[in-house]
Amino acid sequence: MDSLGLYVLAAAVLFGVGVYGLIVAEHLMRKLFAINIMGNAIFILLVAASGPIQGSPDPVPQALVLTGIVIAVSATAFALALMVRLYQETGQATLSSRDDGDDG
Amino acid sequence: MTLFLLDGLIVVGLVTLAYQAVSSRSLFRGIIHFVVFGLTMALAWARVGAPDLAMAEAAIGAGLTGALMLVAYRRLVEGRSDSPADPAPAQSRLALPIAIGSGLLVGVIGLSALFSEVEPAQAGQAVLSELQQVDLGNPITAVLLLYRGLDTLLEVAVLLTAFLAARAVAGADGGEGSATTPAPETPMVGALLAVVIPLTVLVAIHLLRAGSYEPGGAFQGGAVLAGAGVLLILSGRIAATPVAGPLIRMGLLAGLVSFMLIGLVPLLKGSPLLALPGLWAVYFIETAMMLSIAITLILLFAGGGGLKRGRNG
Amino acid sequence: MTLTDDVTLALLLAGCGFYLAGTVGLLRFPDVFCRLHALTKADNLGLFLVCSGLAVHSGEARVVSLLLLIWLVGLLAATVSAHLIARHAHQHLATSPEDSNEQR
Repeated sequence: MDSLGLYVLAAAVLFGVGVYGLIVAEHLMRKLFAINIMGNAIFILLVAASGPIQGSPDPVPQALVLTGIVIAVSATAFALALMVRLYQETGQATLSSRDDGDDG
Repeated sequence: MTLFLLDGLIVVGLVTLAYQAVSSRSLFRGIIHFVVFGLTMALAWARVGAPDLAMAEAAIGAGLTGALMLVAYRRLVEGRSDSPADPAPAQSRLALPIAIGSGLLVGVIGLSALFSEVEPAQAGQAVLSELQQVDLGNPITAVLLLYRGLDTLLEVAVLLTAFLAARAVAGADGGEGSATTPAPETPMVGALLAVVIPLTVLVAIHLLRAGSYEPGGAFQGGAVLAGAGVLLILSGRIAATPVAGPLIRMGLLAGLVSFMLIGLVPLLKGSPLLALPGLWAVYFIETAMMLSIAITLILLFAGGGGLKRGRNG
Repeated sequence: MTLTDDVTLALLLAGCGFYLAGTVGLLRFPDVFCRLHALTKADNLGLFLVCSGLAVHSGEARVVSLLLLIWLVGLLAATVSAHLIARHAHQHLATSPEDSNEQR
């Protein structure tokens, strides 16, 4: 297996880690980490799964991922603002759902 | 063989850092692990053959996201003497199966894309073969501004919308909070700023100009410029205000408005939308976008609507 | 391998060795000030060795001057950060090892 295949596998494992963190973590900032990790995993999947075109790298997926990185930062900034406001209103930075109903 | 070992080490580092970020014992450690994860992703981008993405990830993904998270963390610990309440992870029996299942799904998608026999899409091929006629050396800049201009336009709009949304949900303090209160002034910080800020502005402008024929571009330059702004805020030279002044508003809107106006002009002449009239349009739009991106990211960090001269300025 | 490659390899390995020493110091030293000591000295020297290894490997004047600039700016940044951390630690934290270990 060459290095691109290794990065595709890395993307799969990272996505799994991100989903696990999203489900399991309680603090909202950790859920943000998990979402960002999932996003980064898909970005590296996009670029690694599209191999080079006649030796030079394929520019279209790279441009799409560049757009994706900036949008991920925008979404993270907004989510952080929401989290800080939630903390200022309720005094905690979790969406605790343990009181009402069970978790899987 | 050694390159494969290097890739293996990077991959192991990525997975370990990601796991530590979501499950380390204190939130602060999680933030630091996440920042290092971003820097290791920059290494991974360089290995996969995407130097533009490596620069963008290091500047925006690791640097600015880390700074934003640390500011949010500071707002969470304001007025408390201990670290924020970090509840224990939820006990969920389905978490591990769901995670493994989704990982397998992504792996199957990726490996099938890698080993498929289908003819790859023609878009990249077309871009690379048309590059000579367009006189832009960097194919990614060509894709971003000439061939997929609508994506870039909407991306700048998303950045602006995220800033407006963050302002809309901000609390009543409106930027005067202590989250970005600068430390007492020391001469060393002044010396650092005197050397680093002009150098950073120079590097940002160089990245903007080099994006035409080398790895670089408006986003990387804007992120580096935003880094300079973050440094100025942290040392007290600039501070946040609740409402933006007219200059800041023009800077925020410069990228989006110039791209839209220059993109609408071809409609009058019968060309399709966003068919840019020449290379000068690319340079102008990129400069305006760099300015907008930098100001938006600085304001997101500052937590206020506008900027003014700070306490130590 | 030519002489240039040998010198490059030696410099890069020495630089990585210094980084390793600095990281071990970061993890094992008891106090904030001891850790800063290990980090700044070992990491700056490690950066110098890595940069000089790369400079020897490339041999172009432009790359050498850029690497020199990188080292100087890295030196400046590490110096000021260490100064600010030490200043904060001196003013706000107790300087005994047990108390310092509790702080972030």
